Amino acid sequence: MSTPCIEVKNLQKYFKVRNGFLHATDDVSFKIEKGKTMGIVGESGCGKSTLGRTIIHMHESTGGQIFYNGEDVTKVSHHGLKELRTHMQMVFQDPYSSLNPRFTVEQTIREPLQLTHKYTKAQIDDEVTQLMELCGVEERLRLAYPHEMDGGRRQRVGIARALALNPEFVVCDEPVSALDVSIQAQVLNLLKELQQKRGLTYMFVTHDLSVVRHISNNIGVMYLGQMVETSESKELFVQPLHPYTKALLSAIPSTDIHNQHERIILKGEITSPINPKPGCRFAARCPYATPECSKPQHLEEILPNHFVSCHRCKEINNL
Amino acid sequence: MEHKIEQKNQEHFLEVKDLTVYYTVSKVDTKAVNGVSFTLEKGQTLGLVGETGAGKTTIAKAILGILPVPPARLINGSIRFDGQTLTELPESEMLKIRGDKIAMIFQDPMTALNPVITVGDQISEVISLHNSVSKAEAKKQAGEMLEMVGIPASRYGEYPHQFSGGMKQRVVIAMALACDPDLLLADEPTTALDVTIQAQVLDMIRNLQQKNNTSMILITHDLGVVAQTCDNVAVVYAGEIIESGTKEDIFDHPTHPYTVGLFGAIPKLDDDEEWLHPIEGLPPDPPQLPEGCAFSPRCPYAGPECRQCSIPNTELTPGHFCRCVKLEKKEEQ
Repeated sequence: MSTPCIEVKNLQKYFKVRNGFLHATDDVSFKIEKGKTMGIVGESGCGKSTLGRTIIHMHESTGGQIFYNGEDVTKVSHHGLKELRTHMQMVFQDPYSSLNPRFTVEQTIREPLQLTHKYTKAQIDDEVTQLMELCGVEERLRLAYPHEMDGGRRQRVGIARALALNPEFVVCDEPVSALDVSIQAQVLNLLKELQQKRGLTYMFVTHDLSVVRHISNNIGVMYLGQMVETSESKELFVQPLHPYTKALLSAIPSTDIHNQHERIILKGEITSPINPKPGCRFAARCPYATPECSKPQHLEEILPNHFVSCHRCKEINNL
Repeated sequence: MEHKIEQKNQEHFLEVKDLTVYYTVSKVDTKAVNGVSFTLEKGQTLGLVGETGAGKTTIAKAILGILPVPPARLINGSIRFDGQTLTELPESEMLKIRGDKIAMIFQDPMTALNPVITVGDQISEVISLHNSVSKAEAKKQAGEMLEMVGIPASRYGEYPHQFSGGMKQRVVIAMALACDPDLLLADEPTTALDVTIQAQVLDMIRNLQQKNNTSMILITHDLGVVAQTCDNVAVVYAGEIIESGTKEDIFDHPTHPYTVGLFGAIPKLDDDEEWLHPIEGLPPDPPQLPEGCAFSPRCPYAGPECRQCSIPNTELTPGHFCRCVKLEKKEEQ
């Protein structure tokens, strides 16, 4: 097996809050192979964005390790980080607030290129033209400001900026959530096309399950900072094993009006991620919970390449 | 079907006719709603589907009479509700209807609640405004409303910031339902929520609706939510209803190129196609709507006849309407 592009082992990110620590990401491990897409799904506040941000070092990790192409990059120096950032980039959720309102399209895309001090002005201009074309931003918008463009075009500019330094790994944090469906499809197709052209590796963070199924090779399901299930993407939808994944998938409103599936309605709300108790964090809402669930749980390979963190998993699914 | 025949000779419960609303800013007219007509019967749910800026919320606000005037102007149209013409009623009469007979669930629960008043007081305010009850009685009823939406009445005295997003949305729903309205206008009631909470909230709305035989207009851009909740669907594009019919008409036989495009643009859960089929181009800028069919610049079938001034609303099968020129051509052939 080749070296995965990204590998994280037991990654933790805690935030200090007034009454303890908020466990945003707790003991998360997974690998992303080169040129593949890993989708991370979960509800708001489950730590999926924090996970992405911690991997590309926008947050410093509290514990665990991050490997990029087999190399441990958990604790990089200031200089090393600058170099690392040329390989890892991010596309942000809200194209309305992630672009500098006082920068034109050209300035936005040019900035990362200038910061490397590696190119001449002519080379940079050339590169900006190519990036704009690659991401489908019309040349006439070169001197336009973000407020003059619609959400879809702004997101294309955000993507062009992320790709300016020719990164290998891109974290896409809800890149289409703020867009209308007809525009969303345009941007999803663009991301896929870019992946094929440039061999990009994506980590795709979203709460939209049909989008994640469409774009990902593998999916990780998060609940309150922990990974509860990871699997090949189609398989997850055919055979979800964790009780939370089952409930989550059944809650998607289907557009098939004749075959409405049975929905599992969860009771209660997500509990607080501040100083959580050991054990399964879903137990409070889980229909299958037993006292055993208060013991720490770990991801186990239940089926080939299908990992689940639930001690009753086999029993529930008759495996 | 029986229901429809029975209603035929009677007046519709809600009838919106030729509703036209412009927003005028710096002497430029923005045509937010252009001649929208639809009807709704008792106990039925109509889904208004469309993209941002299509005019869905403006339609709801016009029914409730809460358009911001100015800049909004009601240019034309009448709204008849339960035997009254809302568009002709004085404000003092509208005040009695609003919150009592017609209530609205607003899109964003974070901003729809007053942050400095306890949630319980916000609900009991509605109750005491419309019913002659004592303060204690209003308080008791408000507590019951909270229980109904799954929030313990003991949290009556808490402030909105002490609730999660899903619970705040349920408070907004409790407030809207406090006076047993006959018509509920739900503007993207679940868009700000996670899927599992969305399922809870939709279930709750449906149960309450069945219990009280409430009519509902559900505004959403999520076709999945429409499939689960609505009886009838109207697809709105650039301030016009371009296709309308029963849920079966729209989901099984989408006809307008825009409706077809919308279905093609969403990733399906049971379909392994590698590429999505986006609708090319962008929605038109409302101050500069194209002549004729507003969708024509993005439409793969558009021809010169699409830019003629008015596009007829064709009835394809009883109750299934579509506003497209090309369609007539197909039928003639």
